[in-house]
Parts: sequence; C-alpha cells; structure tokens
Amino acid sequence: MSFWRRKGRDAELEEEVRSHLEMAARERAGRGEKREDAERAARREFGNVGLVKDVTRDMWKGMWLEDLWQDLRYGLRMVRRNPGFAALAILTLMLGIGANTAIFSVVNGVLLRPLPYAQPDRLVAINYYFPMGPYVIMRDQSRTMEIAANDDSEFNLTGVETPVRLTGSAVSGNWFAVLGAKPEIGRTIHEGEDQPGKDQLVLLSHSLWERRFGSDPNIVGRWITLEGTRRQVIGVMPAEFRYPSPKTELWVPLHLDPRKAGVYWGSSYMPIIGRLRPGATLGQARAEIAPMRAKIMSAYPWRMPDNTWKAATVLPMQELLVGNVRTKLLVLLGAVGLLLLIACANVANLLLARAITRQKEVAVRTALGAGRWRLARQLMAESMLLTVIGGWLGFLAATYGLPILKATLPTDLPRLADVAVDNLVLAFTALLAAVTGIVFGLLPMLTAARVDLTKTMKTGDERSGTSGSRRLSDALIVAQVAVSVVLVIGAGLLVKSLWNLSTLNPGFQREYVLTARITPNESFCEVAGRCQAFYAELLSRVRALPGVKGVAAVNGLPVGGGAEVVPSQVEAHPTEPGAHTPMFWEKIITPDYLSTLGIPVLRGRGFTAADSAPSAQRVVLVSRSTAERYWPGRDPIGEHVRPAWMSQWWTVVGVVGDVRENDITTDIADWIDGVTYMPYGPHAVQSHGPEGTPAEMTLVMKTSEDRWQLGGELQTVVAGLNHEVPVSRVETLAGWIAEAVSGPRSTASLFSLFAGLALLLGAVGIYGVISYSVAQRTREIGIRIALGARRHEVLMMILRQGARLAFAGVAIGLLGALLLTQLMASLLYGVGARDPMTYAAVAILLVLVALAASYLPARRATRVDPVVALRYE
Amino acid sequence: MSIGRNRLKGKSMAEKRERYQNRIELLQGTLDLLILQTLQWGPQHGYGISVAIRNRSGELLQVDTGSLYPALHRLEKQKWIKAEWRISENKQRAKFYQLTASGKKQLTRERSKWSQLSDAIAGVLQPDEK
Repeated sequence: MSFWRRKGRDAELEEEVRSHLEMAARERAGRGEKREDAERAARREFGNVGLVKDVTRDMWKGMWLEDLWQDLRYGLRMVRRNPGFAALAILTLMLGIGANTAIFSVVNGVLLRPLPYAQPDRLVAINYYFPMGPYVIMRDQSRTMEIAANDDSEFNLTGVETPVRLTGSAVSGNWFAVLGAKPEIGRTIHEGEDQPGKDQLVLLSHSLWERRFGSDPNIVGRWITLEGTRRQVIGVMPAEFRYPSPKTELWVPLHLDPRKAGVYWGSSYMPIIGRLRPGATLGQARAEIAPMRAKIMSAYPWRMPDNTWKAATVLPMQELLVGNVRTKLLVLLGAVGLLLLIACANVANLLLARAITRQKEVAVRTALGAGRWRLARQLMAESMLLTVIGGWLGFLAATYGLPILKATLPTDLPRLADVAVDNLVLAFTALLAAVTGIVFGLLPMLTAARVDLTKTMKTGDERSGTSGSRRLSDALIVAQVAVSVVLVIGAGLLVKSLWNLSTLNPGFQREYVLTARITPNESFCEVAGRCQAFYAELLSRVRALPGVKGVAAVNGLPVGGGAEVVPSQVEAHPTEPGAHTPMFWEKIITPDYLSTLGIPVLRGRGFTAADSAPSAQRVVLVSRSTAERYWPGRDPIGEHVRPAWMSQWWTVVGVVGDVRENDITTDIADWIDGVTYMPYGPHAVQSHGPEGTPAEMTLVMKTSEDRWQLGGELQTVVAGLNHEVPVSRVETLAGWIAEAVSGPRSTASLFSLFAGLALLLGAVGIYGVISYSVAQRTREIGIRIALGARRHEVLMMILRQGARLAFAGVAIGLLGALLLTQLMASLLYGVGARDPMTYAAVAILLVLVALAASYLPARRATRVDPVVALRYE
Repeated sequence: MSIGRNRLKGKSMAEKRERYQNRIELLQGTLDLLILQTLQWGPQHGYGISVAIRNRSGELLQVDTGSLYPALHRLEKQKWIKAEWRISENKQRAKFYQLTASGKKQLTRERSKWSQLSDAIAGVLQPDEK
C-alpha cells in the first residue's frame, strides 16, 4: 500500500471509529438510556480513542516508505558509530563511481550523444573520399540524399600586421543547409555559391572573429585577403559549431570549376556527407551508390582503376565520425567497470566483517520477531546510504575532474568538445550507485540473514563468524585479486606497447631538429622561378644563423605530415587499363633533406643542386621497400617511373632507407604502394597538376642543441624576405612524433591509473580481511603461543593465509586476462595480448602486494600476548 | 515488528502503547480465531464483531477495542479478511469485514491449532491416573 493512500486510511479509520461509537450509543439509547449518557458510556467502553487509532495505525506499518525512513535512520546511526569504516567505504565508492562517471561521460559525448545538428538521425556519410567531379555527379543524381562535401585546407590571412596561416574548409553551397547549421550573425553559404565567380565569400568561426577581429559587430560586409584573394565576410558561426573540426577557423565556398580537369577529377579528395530526404531510408540511399559509381566511372576524363570506390557505402554520419575510437573507449569503460567491481567487493567485505560482529544483535532481533526480510532490508539501508553518499561524491569528483580528463585525452579524439556531464550521465551514475549498493549490500546480507539463532546466542561470542561468511569474504578477496590482475595486465600491455612506440626507430634522426611551416600564397609560386628563388635564399640565410648545422625543406614531415599522392606507372610493370595503378607518396625535398634527418642513401646517390635546374634530367629516389617491391633482386638504379598522366619518364638514381611516413608504426597507408622522392624545383609534380614548384614547404633545421628561439629568428628572416609569408607550427621533430603517439599515451596512462587504483583497493581489501581474521583468531593464536609456537611460525601461518588467497586470485585473474585482453589486441603494438613476460611480472607483483598487505596484520599476530589473549572475551 | 520503534515516540505514550501491545499479544491467535469464526456467518462491522463475541461467549469475553481494531487491520493486511463500506441495518455507513478464501483456510488452521492446544492443556490439567 502506498504512502499517498495514508491520508485516506486515516480518514477511514476516523470514520470507522465514529460509526462504532454511534452504533454502541444507539444500542444503549435503544435500551432506554439517555442520549448523552449513552454516548458517554459508549466512549468510556471504547477506551482511549486516540490510542486505539494509534495502535491500529501501527498495523499498517510495513508500508515500505515508512520502514525505509526508519531503516535509513538506523543506517545513519550505524555510519555515525563507525566513522572510520564509513569514510573508507565512501571513499572507495567515490573512486569507483567517480571513475565510471567520468569515463561514461566521454563515451556518452563521443559515442552516444546525437550530433549537435538538426535532425541528426537523418545525417549520413559515405565511407570514401571523392574529388569534386564525382561529388557533383552524386549531388545531381541522388534522389534519396541531399549530398554535400567539404575540402579542408589552409589559408594565409594577409593585409594584417603579421600574416597568419588559418585552418579552413571549402564547402559545397548546400553544406550548411545539409547540416542544418545556423550562423551567429550574418548568413551562411548558400546553394550555388560554389560556382566560379560567386565564391569570393568567407564565413568566420566564433573564435577567429573574437581573436582576429575583436568581435567586431559590423564584421559582415568587410573584405579580407585570404591566399591573395579578397573575400567578403558574410557571417560568423556560433562557438558550438565545430565541424569539420574544432580547429576550423573559417569556411569558404568550394570552387567547382570543371575546366581545370586535373584538379576537378584528380585531387582534393573530400569527405562526403548527406541528409536523407523526407521518407528516404538508409537502405535506399545505399542502393543508389552502385549506379552512381558506374556513372562516375564512365564520366572520368581518363580511365580509373576498376576497383575504385568498390566498397563505397552510406553510413550514419555519427558512426563514421567516431568509428575508430569506439574500441578504445569501450576498453576504457570496461576497465573502470572492473575497478567498480573491486570497489564493490571491498565495501562488501567491510560490511561483511561488520555483519559478522553484529551477528548476536541480529540473532536477538530475529528472536524478538524481526522478519528476515525486514532485517535484510535494515542491513541494506546502511549500504544504500553509503552508496548514495559515495555516488554523489563520485559524481561531483567526475564533474570537476572532467576538464582534467579531457586534457589527458588526445585532441584529435572526435567530438571531444561534446563531452560534458548531462542528464544521461547523471542517470547513469544514479543507476550505477543503486546497482552497486544492492550488489555489495546483498552479499553480506546473504550470510547475515542466515544466522543460527540458538548457537549464536548460546555461545555469546559475537565474533564467531560462520564458516559461510568467512568463505564469502575469502571469495570476495580472490575475486578482487583476480580482477586486479586483469586490469594490471591490461595496463602492462598498453604501457609496453607505448614504450615500443616511443622507442621505435622511425628511420630518421629526431633529436635537435626544429621544424616550421613556410607558406607563401599559391599564386606567388605560379610565376616560374619565383618560389624557387625565395626558398633558395631562405635556406641560405637560415643556414647562416648561429647554431644551425643543417637546413632543408620538404613538402610534408614524416609520421603523418603528408606528401603528394601520385598515381604512377613503373616501366618494368606496365598496368593494363582499368587495373590498379600504383599510388606513390611523393616527397618533394631540397638536397640536404636526407642528411639533415639522417636518412641513409643505400644505393646510388642523393640529390644535388644541379637536379633542380630547369634543364636537368628528371631524377627520382625510391625508398628501400618500394625498390624491393617493384624491382626485387635487381638494381633499381636506372629504372624508370612516371606520373600516370604524363609521358616523360623519371630515372631512379638512388635508394634511401625506409621512413615511417604514415604514422609511427607504418611506413605507408594501406592504399599507398610506395614512396618516391623528387627534387624541389620546376619539375616537381603535384597530384594531377602540371609540373611546378609547390608553395607550401616545411623547413627542417638541425641544431647543435634545442634552440627554441630559432623560431623567432626564422620569423625575422622570412619577414625580411617577404612580409606576406606566414611562419606556422614551429615545433621540434621529437614533439611532432610525441603528438603522433598521444592517443596510445592517453589510453595507457588512464589504464595505468585505473590499474593503480585497483591495486591499491585490492591491497586495502586483503589487509582488511587478514587483519580481521587475526583479530578473530586472537584467542587461538594466544593458545598456540602459550603451547610453544614460535613467533615466525605464527607469522608464516598468517602470511600463508594471505598467500593462499592471492594465489587463487592470481590464477583466476590470469585466465580472465587471457580471455579479456583479446578485446584490446587492436590497441597493442609490438606486444601480444598474451605476452608471457607481462603476465609473469603482474602475477609476481600481485603476490608481492598480497604478502605485503598481509605482513602488517601477521606481525601484529606475533605480538599477541597469550595471557591477554586467553582472557580476551 | 521491529525493535526500537517505541523509542521514536514520547515515553509515557510509549508505555501505554506497550500495555496495549502486550494485550494484543496475549490474545493474539485466540482473538484472530474469534474474529475469523465470527465472520464465518457473514460480513460484519467492528462493533458487530465485538457484540457477537460478547454474546456468544455468554458475556464472558469482553473484546477490547484497542485489541480489536489493530487485529482487524492486521488480518486485513494479511488478506485473510477484506473490508468494504456499506450501509448498516440502521441506515448508517459502516466498514464491513468479510472472510476471504485464504481467510477461510486460515480459520481451519487456527481451529485445529486451538483444539490441539486445548486438548494439550486439558491433558495437563487432568488429574493423574497412575
């Protein structure tokens, strides 16, 4: 019966009593008594009306809410009586629940929360990149989707005091409409504005508007110069709008010009997004891809390899955005889940120990008629109280710790900015706390509620823990150790792979190399020889700076810095039309690049200044594995390669060592077939473009020691040459590589943190249980000592007890790890998920921790004074 | 019932209540039996039940209201009897109690328990025939 019926019940009781009195009075009156006397007599006979009502009302109790309140007060009394116990339990729960809340809020923000755009469930994306030509065909053909595309690039902002390099995105005219994004002021880019002649527009991000334009309210209509082109500001996007990336500072319209066939069909591979039209389904959209692909292939000005975009399909946009971080986040969530289990086991053990000491009290209560269920609930109320407090504190800790957690996570984690504590997170914490409270409250209850009445009362021994409860507490410790083993092994594997990643030889020297990006406007380099002269002068001036031992330029740093993608022909391996064309990464370098980075020339020669002359023979270097792939067992020197769309062959003059170009673990991406090097000069080839010198280059400067101030000097040198050229991303090569492993590093450090906490909680758990058992066995130990047991025998006896539990836990944990670490195999590098070294080390570590945790209580046991012990109790 | 509840209320009140509760406990079982038995003859209200018990016991058993009503409410909670507001023969609204199916079973159990008990007591009280 529920609480709110209470009032109705009171009124009913009132009326019931009144009718009783009336009937009694009426009967007396019927017997001839005076009306007033009859009423008075009836009341007298009835007795104390208030008291009768009160006692009757008592019968309703057992209504759960009233009982619950009473139980809670009981729980509070218990907590107040043992503040140390309560503090330990609450702290444990706070750690467990707080860690889970924090990780869950990341999972929630990245994986669960809908994208912050209009009707996010209608947004889709295609899992391949497409150049502009194919994009336009898809946009015009699709009946199920409104399709948009964006091409990320960078822009020089000039006409200001110091020119800066800005990150931006060129977007199709319908792009903002597809996302359903609204501007903060002004307007967005409209349909049709991606046509040549209409595209001199720019939309600013909130932060750029704030930083560079002082939040000027009259910004709309102003003209700014980007990449040497004047563009009119049409609006500002709100701070929450962070697509395609939080780094995006401006949006301009795409420049869809089919007349530049090379660029239009061959470069600028763009991610494609779409919005399902009303009534269209994802399945229908998927079915459209194959016919659209056929149209695209036949529209190409040259024949594309037959398998191009073969696996293209449509996916929900959110799925595509977060695809590769899912495993990592779920592994972390699993780890904190295990941590919570350990916390639960710990608190359960604490409660269990208490429940045993309270057995006599429980027995008395049972004898006095307390129902088993009621009793169980009373114990439960205490655990619920602890979880509510622990959970609340954990929630607060997670809320305040979240910014720190976010700083630990790699910045390229998609949707990191969406990570926040919201109602779902709150609900998750509440659910977690409730389940936790029930789980650890239930365990000790199982034994506490099953008390042998007479035995406990007769012995009068409050501490005679039943063998059942002792077994349960042992089982909890074993479980705790087992879960800790799994977590620590997981952390060990991640740390080991991080170590492998950071110590691995990338194929070049990373020490004392400073890098900086030099980015003249594209148009500056279109005039023949101008850019080449600029870089030649720049390199010679930088070389003259003090402390500079070598300097060179390259079109992209190794380890993910990028290179030109050139579909190529190899003379020795002609490709049939329609067959797969070898895709080469082309590094465009100045002669000193190889020596500055210490990349060895294995055969033939490197480049000289003569190779950059307009009249020079076209020469190329290949990486070792490229040479092995295309000319196995032969000398590649003198062999020929060429870009697929050109007729002139380039001659291989040298073979250089392999370099980790793609990322820290791989030389090339899986869709790339090889790496070639071309001299920086008039013949350098850009993807599908004509020959010419690229504008944007990265300087690598070898210094005698770390010279950070070199960045400032470089700025001065560049400004002295051309005051419109920005210098950006000044950083050391080592820092650049460290950034590349920031993902694995953050996973490893978070996992290690959890493993450390697990170890700590596990140690506290073992310590608690062993201490408790020593206290219980004081009399027995006293007798043993009195009978002549040596101190070290007692010590060994107690240590053995701890070791037995640890061994069992470690054995189970190793088995569990064998199964569970498979799930994180994709996060590991250079270490197997079943690495025997890690397993062995962790097993030994856990046994040592268990022994250390048992040692303190064991030593206490040896100090038992038999006289005192025998009098004990 | 749980321990410690009395402590939650004022002391003098608590003492009085305890007296009442003791009386319930004395009568418990017997009073339940009497109520269930009375209701076997048809629905009845609290006053009617007390009158019926008094009359059928030849005025020997005076049922105390402080025991009767708690007992009625307890039996109702155990679903042995159910209550319904009706108009009495005197055109007055009253709460009528009625035996449920499980209440009938309980009555059978209580009766056999009672006859065992009275047999046992009778056996004890019989003069020794050795």
